[in-house]
Amino acid sequence: MKGKKRLQKSFVYGLLIALSLLFLLPFFWMVMTSLKGPEELAQYPPKLFPSEWHFENFAKAWNSQPFNVFLVNSLIVTALTTIGQIISSTLVAYGFARFKFKGRDVLFIILLATMMIPWDVTMIPQYMEFNLFGWINTLKALIIPSWFGSAFYIFLLRQFIMSIPKELDEAARIDGANVFQIYYKIYLPLVWPVIVLIAVFNILGSWNDYLGPLIFLNDQSKYTLTLGLAQFKGVHDVNTNGIMAVTFLISIVPLVLFFLAQKKIVEGVQTTGLK
Amino acid sequence: MKSGLSASITPSSIQMKRKKQWSKLIPYLFVAPWIIGFVVFTLGPLLFSFVISFFDWPIVGEKKFIGFSNYITMFTDDPMFWHSLWVTVKFALFFVPLNIILALLLAILLNQKVKGSSLFRTFFYVPSVISGVALAMIWGSVFDGEYGILNYLLSLIGIEGPNWLNSTSWALVAMVIASLWGQGTLMLIFLAGLKNIPQDLYEAAEIDGAGKIFQFFKITVPLLSPTILFNLIMTIIGAFQQLTLALVLTGGGPLQSTYFYAMYVYENAFKYFKMGYSSANAWIMFLIVLALTLLVFKSSSTWVYYENEVKNDK
Amino acid sequence: MKKRKMWFSLLIAVVVLVMSACSSNNSSGDAKKDGKTVLRFATWDTGDTLKIQQDIAKAFEKENKDVKVQVEAYGDGFDQKIAASFGAKNPPDVMYMWDFTTYNQSLEPLDGYVQKDPDIKMDDFYEGLFNYSKVDGKLYGMPAGFSTMVVYYNKKLFDQYQIPYPKEGWTWDEFKEIAKKLTDKSKKQYGFAVTSEPDTYDLQGLVWSNGGSFISDDGKKIDGAMNSPETVEALQMYGDMVKDGIAVSTGGKNQQSASEIFKANKLGMLINGIWPIQGYKDAKVDFGTAMIPSFGSKPVKGLISSSSISIAKDSKQKDLAWKFVKFYSSEQAIKMRTADLPVRRSIVEETKVSEDPLYKPFYTMLENATNTPAFLLNKNWNEINRNLSAAINAVMLGQDGKPLFDKAVKESEKYLDK
Repeated sequence: MKGKKRLQKSFVYGLLIALSLLFLLPFFWMVMTSLKGPEELAQYPPKLFPSEWHFENFAKAWNSQPFNVFLVNSLIVTALTTIGQIISSTLVAYGFARFKFKGRDVLFIILLATMMIPWDVTMIPQYMEFNLFGWINTLKALIIPSWFGSAFYIFLLRQFIMSIPKELDEAARIDGANVFQIYYKIYLPLVWPVIVLIAVFNILGSWNDYLGPLIFLNDQSKYTLTLGLAQFKGVHDVNTNGIMAVTFLISIVPLVLFFLAQKKIVEGVQTTGLK
Repeated sequence: MKSGLSASITPSSIQMKRKKQWSKLIPYLFVAPWIIGFVVFTLGPLLFSFVISFFDWPIVGEKKFIGFSNYITMFTDDPMFWHSLWVTVKFALFFVPLNIILALLLAILLNQKVKGSSLFRTFFYVPSVISGVALAMIWGSVFDGEYGILNYLLSLIGIEGPNWLNSTSWALVAMVIASLWGQGTLMLIFLAGLKNIPQDLYEAAEIDGAGKIFQFFKITVPLLSPTILFNLIMTIIGAFQQLTLALVLTGGGPLQSTYFYAMYVYENAFKYFKMGYSSANAWIMFLIVLALTLLVFKSSSTWVYYENEVKNDK
Repeated sequence: MKKRKMWFSLLIAVVVLVMSACSSNNSSGDAKKDGKTVLRFATWDTGDTLKIQQDIAKAFEKENKDVKVQVEAYGDGFDQKIAASFGAKNPPDVMYMWDFTTYNQSLEPLDGYVQKDPDIKMDDFYEGLFNYSKVDGKLYGMPAGFSTMVVYYNKKLFDQYQIPYPKEGWTWDEFKEIAKKLTDKSKKQYGFAVTSEPDTYDLQGLVWSNGGSFISDDGKKIDGAMNSPETVEALQMYGDMVKDGIAVSTGGKNQQSASEIFKANKLGMLINGIWPIQGYKDAKVDFGTAMIPSFGSKPVKGLISSSSISIAKDSKQKDLAWKFVKFYSSEQAIKMRTADLPVRRSIVEETKVSEDPLYKPFYTMLENATNTPAFLLNKNWNEINRNLSAAINAVMLGQDGKPLFDKAVKESEKYLDK
């Protein structure tokens, strides 16, 4: 029996390692490309490792435009949108999951429907609207809408909340808790891992958002990191080394955050095993 | 509510009445943030785009009312409409099931008790972290017919790889492969769902002599079904909105073989300056995706199992 | 009580958020920043050329101390951003512009300003350039930069195979011979590169040099032009070079571009404008430039790719915008723009750039650039181009041209008299 288990385990390990290599390949290629010189971009047979390690590509790319400013802007937007989403989405999801009220199903379908609208088409009218509010060229255009919940997160949370047994509610209500206390004291802790999940998704989405900043921001001092990336891809030429270098630097933050967070997600879900 | 008993309105029954009215409001209060946001940020632009779909608006010119003209042209006089729709459906047919199965398998793999699973989890998620343009560029160099790694690796085992992105038959396949790399999000959601399933169910089944396959289909799948539903809907929506990768990697080519519907909408707006037409395109896409989603939802009552949710409570 | 606490804290959070957002950003639409007037200037330049734009902006600010020029760099999101800005009636004051037939209704005609400001010295410009920014006889943009197309060739590879460098007056047949000698498939080395999905604009020079054209000179007919034997033959030649294996097909927007293969010393020759020249120098490629070859004895025709800067009609500070445009077109600014060919003759004479062997072919091609590009001849070129592009792409992938072009002509007829 032990032998079989060991075989199983090594099979699993082998698979994990092989798949990891596969998934890491694009990232690895990106890092290597950022270290290459411009003459090495079209080598054949393709060389994985650069012959000369151009570490200065990173500094060169970062200093070519005010990326420090872009970094601060990205941090502000990402942090504020994530907080906003967590607060608003959990409230709304709880409402949809735990109550029966008039129009609930219709509203929920509308909620889902909003996810299907391609952005190009609402982009210009939204721009006009934000222009009226005076939000164009400010970070407000990117931040404020996220304080009203996002269909994706609400949907996800709702599914999870619905899988929590109702007996918990009833027990708490017998103990005299009101609705908000039930929300706050019972549900939030239970769905905490999903909240961390949402935080991760939102941080990533906001950090990597390109279209929003492109359309709503004019002045370089407001640009986020991804918009700064546009500096390397022009109409006539592409600075491949630059793009790869900056993208690598930009992806460090979410990667590290992800690594730290995903432990919490997984361990959290396990320990709150719903019994 | 008792009527006409003004004499017996005691303080406690007033309190009860207030409580009842208040409790009716509560759900709306919870949902309020989204409703407000929807009305302010989404409804307005939505209505605008709907109204505009009945106009001819070259963005930098004046708006001209043309009634249903846009919709009629789309269906009768624009082969690109049908072509891009077909490309998108073709893509979705392969991408949606592959993506879900892949994400599920990876999640199950990661759910095994192995050391360093948090490291592996991060590895699988890495491609989802890299932002759109750079990722597309990386794929561009991977798939390059002459100088790309993929064909190089294939040549090592004696296969002459196709000129992926220049081939009308293979470009779409390349798109599916590249898109599958971004399954990280789905995988995570599945993983969270898997962890939500109590271990003792499996242990009990083991004691009863049930095999792993049996356990998978009788325990895992049903308890995971709300998550599967979620991922299924999200993937369908995602497949229909596929734009950035196509825009940056293939430009819709070669010969429109990767011309997704979302790209059709985009180009009509920003390349051909037909904002009204583009809005009409977008609304049709919206209706299609909505119909698909409702279908999936309707079917879900037969295969999705919400623990502790009684049918008539839905 | 918890309930009240929650709402209260939520309210506080929102208030704090709004306040912080307010204080950390100036509200938009304000044309004043730190007491200075803000002039918005949008460009598609990136990297080093963007730096030059920023330097010019700073030079302007030095002479106009109460003005801040806000350089807005969108890279390749430029078209989308400009369209959205115009659509929402919030465009930048000054911007780079090339698509005049689409945007001219939203641009400010410059004739009046030019007449009032004779020291801008309009005859110092290459007159052909003004064709590109005039619509219905009105001027909508001042030429900012231009380029023609030339052949870049890799001297190292030529020396390796003992091929003499291209001479003025060389023909396409000679070109193809050279390309064949330079191709070595086992090393993934090629004589020439052809884009599989080219911008049809870039191919006009080729077509004109064979006596063909996409559209008649009066912009009214495409039958007999787009599908004429001369047009088809020129384009088919490119497709055949790929089929014969002497040209590598570089495709799509993000695969190894011809430039990258050139920089890796794996490409013998390629055709491009002036834009990548600095990149090739940085990659230390030993290269030279030459005129585009001719079709036998037919004259070589050049193609100008021109960009101009324009003023938005909705700008609230048009006089200031004109001041900047004038500064941008002055000798001082033009000299700063080292990545473009100077648009003023005086600068060319002064810097003798046209005598530099690397830059000379660009000016020779300029002298032969007398045709008007298609997009300026017909208002609906955008739609017609869609069909043309499909036909050309198919040819580049190896299909037979004649039936494809006939089809393109047929499908585009309906756009001709709209």
